[in-house]
Amino acid sequence: MAGLTDILIIDDDKDLVQAMQIILERHDYGVRTAYNGKQGYDKIQTRPPDLIILDVMMATDTEGFDLAYKLKQSPEYRNIPIIMATSFTRTMAEEGPERFQHIMGESWPVSHLIEKPIDPEVLVAAIKKILAEFKKE
Amino acid sequence: MQPGYELVKEQLFFRKELIERLPWLIRLRWIIVAAGFAGYGALCLFGQNLPPFPIAIVFSAILLYNLLFHLVWKYIPPFKLQSVRQSDDAPRLCDREIRAFTLFAHTQISADLLALCAAVYYSGGIYSPLVHFFIFHIILTGILLPPVSCYLYGILVFLVMGGLLLFQQWSLVPIYPIWFQDALFSNKSGLNEIIIRYLTLMTVILVTAFLVTTIKLSLRTKGRELLHLSKALDESNTKLTALYEMVREMGLCSEQKALMDSATRHAAGIMGVKACSIKLIDEQQKTLRFASAYGLSEDYTKSKDCIDITKSPINRKIIEGSVSAIGNIEERDYFQYPEDIRKEGIASMICLPLRVDKMVLGVFCVYSKTAHYFGDSDVRFFALMADLTALEIEKLNTQLNRTWFLQKVAHQLRSPLHAVVGLLKILKNGYLGAINARQEEILLRCEKRLEMSDSLVSDLLRLSIRRSSPNRDDMHQVYLQKVLRSLSGFFEAQAREKSLYIEFQIDDTLPAVTATERMLDDLFSNLISNAIKYTPPEGRVAIRLERGEENRILLEVTDTGIGIPEDAFSKLFTEFFRAENAKSYTEAGTGLGLVIVKEILDRLKGTVSVNSIPGKGATFTCRFHVR
Repeated sequence: MAGLTDILIIDDDKDLVQAMQIILERHDYGVRTAYNGKQGYDKIQTRPPDLIILDVMMATDTEGFDLAYKLKQSPEYRNIPIIMATSFTRTMAEEGPERFQHIMGESWPVSHLIEKPIDPEVLVAAIKKILAEFKKE
Repeated sequence: MQPGYELVKEQLFFRKELIERLPWLIRLRWIIVAAGFAGYGALCLFGQNLPPFPIAIVFSAILLYNLLFHLVWKYIPPFKLQSVRQSDDAPRLCDREIRAFTLFAHTQISADLLALCAAVYYSGGIYSPLVHFFIFHIILTGILLPPVSCYLYGILVFLVMGGLLLFQQWSLVPIYPIWFQDALFSNKSGLNEIIIRYLTLMTVILVTAFLVTTIKLSLRTKGRELLHLSKALDESNTKLTALYEMVREMGLCSEQKALMDSATRHAAGIMGVKACSIKLIDEQQKTLRFASAYGLSEDYTKSKDCIDITKSPINRKIIEGSVSAIGNIEERDYFQYPEDIRKEGIASMICLPLRVDKMVLGVFCVYSKTAHYFGDSDVRFFALMADLTALEIEKLNTQLNRTWFLQKVAHQLRSPLHAVVGLLKILKNGYLGAINARQEEILLRCEKRLEMSDSLVSDLLRLSIRRSSPNRDDMHQVYLQKVLRSLSGFFEAQAREKSLYIEFQIDDTLPAVTATERMLDDLFSNLISNAIKYTPPEGRVAIRLERGEENRILLEVTDTGIGIPEDAFSKLFTEFFRAENAKSYTEAGTGLGLVIVKEILDRLKGTVSVNSIPGKGATFTCRFHVR
C-alpha cells in the first residue's frame, strides 16, 4: 500500500498475528505477515519494511533473536527498527540460560521489548515513538 | 617444601625440650640447696659428725652458681628472650644460639657434677649415700644432650671417683666418713668391698647411660615419624578444608563461567601452582575450548582456543579417560608446539578428564613452573578435585536445563492465553464494530479469567524455579529501602486507581541484608499487592520499614481491608489456599503469593507473622536478619 508505513509482523501464532494486523490496519499502517524466521527474511529481502514486530521464540528457542542478529549484521537491513514481542517477561529473559543473557547487553539488537498479551494502545504508542525517533535520525 | 627446612623444623622441635629444661634445672637447684642445708642442720642437731665447713662451702657454692645461672637466664641474650617467650611456640633459633643453649646445659651439668663429687668426698666417698645421685645426672645428660656427652660424663665420673678412691687408699687425701661409716673405714679388709662397690656404681652409671641414650634415640625416631605424620595430616587437613570451600563456592554459582572460574582459582591456590585451566569439549566430541584459565596469559589461551582432538594425542587420551602427568615437558615430544608452553613458563603439568559417570565433559589441567613438581599423592588429590568439579558442572547444567525447561513450559502455556487476550481486546475496544454493555461485561470477565491463568502460570514458574535451584541465587548485600522505594511509585499508582490511601514509612539508614533484588521485589510485590487487592476503596494501606529488635529489620504491611479469619491462619502459607472471605471478595488471586513470601523469607533466614481482625484489616510483619 503506497504511502502507508509498512510493518512486517513475524510470529508463529496466527491468532496473535491476526489480532495485531487488525489493530495496526485500523491505525492506517500497512501490514505484512510471516509465520517463521525464514519467511520473514524472504519478505524483508523482497521489500524491506519500515518496522518489524518480531516474536522471540517460534519453532526454535532462539529463532527471533537469530533473525534479529542476522538483520543487524546486514548493512541493508541493520537500520530497520525491531519491536520484540515475547511471552517471556524481561526478567525471565534475564534469568534465562546463557544464550539469552548476552541479548540484554550493549549489543541488544532490538529497539523495544514488548510483553504479551499485547495491549493495542501500548503497541501503537510504541510504534509511533520508535518511528518518530527513527525519522529524527 | 624444601628438605632443609623440614630438617631444621624437626631439630627445633626436639631442642624445645633442652630449652625448657634449663630454667627448670635452676628452679630445682634452689630446692636441693634448701634441702641440703636443712638436712645438714638436722644431722647436726642429732649430734652427727659432719665436716661443717666443706659441706657449707659445697652448698654455698651451689647456691652461688645457681644464682649466677639464674641471672644469666634472666638477663643475658639469647637466654633472656626465652624467659619471656610462650612455651608452646617452637623457637626459631640460629645455630649460634643453639650452641649457646647447649653450652649453658653443659655448664650447669658440669657444675652440678663437680659439686656432687665434692659433696660425695665430704660425706664418706664411695660409701656416701650421695653417690647414687650421679645416676640422676647421667639420666639428665642423656635426655638433654647428645649420646656422646652422656657417655663422656659417665666416664668422667668413673675417672673422678676412681681417682678419689686411689688417693684415699694411698692416704693422699683425708677421708671424711660420716657417723655410720666409721666401722667401714676402720676395717682394712673392706678394700675388696670398696672396689666392688666402686665397680658396681660405675657399671650402673654406664648401663644407665646406655639405656637412656638408646631409649632416647628410639623415642626421637618415633617422635620424628610422628612429626612427619602430623605434618602430612596438617597438609591433608588444609587441602581438604580448601577443597570443601571450593566445592561450597561452586555450589553457590548460578552461571557455568563463574563456577569454572571459581574451580580454577581455588585449584591453583590449593595446589600452590602457577596456573589451572578447564577446557570443555563440544557436542561432536571433536574440539576442546578453553572455558576457564587462571594464571595463563590471554595470548596462550587465544592461541590454543580451538584444539582439534584428532590432532592432539594427549588430549585424545584424556578424553578417553586417561590421566596425563607430565613431569618435564622437555623430556619427550608431548606437544605439537612446545615453544608456546615453554614461553608460558610451564615446566610440568597434570591433565585429567572432567568425568561424570562415563561422560567426559572436558579436561582439567594444573601447570607448574617447576619440573617434576607433582608427586603421586598430588595426582590422586587433583583427580578428586577434577571429579568434584565435573559433578558440580553437571549439577549446574542440569539445574539450568531444568530452569530453562520450566520457562519454556510457562511460555508455551501462556502463549495461547496471550493470543486469546489479544483477540478479546480487539473485540472489547471496538476494532470489529461497536459492542453493547452486556457484551463488554462478558468480554471483561473473559479477559480477567485469562489474566488470572497468566498470573498463576507466572507464580508457578517462579516457585518451581526457586525450588529447583534453592541455593544458586547470587545473593549479595542489598538495601531493602532502595528496592522498596523503587517499587513505591508503582504501588502508589495502583492504590490511586482503587481510591486507596497508601503510605510508606521507610528508614533510609538501615543496614544491608544478604539477598537479591529479585527476591525482595517478589516479597514486597506480593505483600503490598495483596494489601491493595483486599482493601475496599477509601481504605488505607501502610508500609513501614524500620529497625527492629536484636539487630533485625522490620517490615510491616498493614491494611484496613477484609481481614483474615482465624481458622485460615494455619493454612495461609500453603499452596493455592485462599480464605473463603478472600474468594468471595474477588476472584483474582492464585493462592501462591504468600507461599512465595514465606519461601523467600526462609531463604533469607527471616520470619513472617500475621495479625488480623476479620472485617477490620490485617498486618503482615516480616523480620529480616542483618548479616
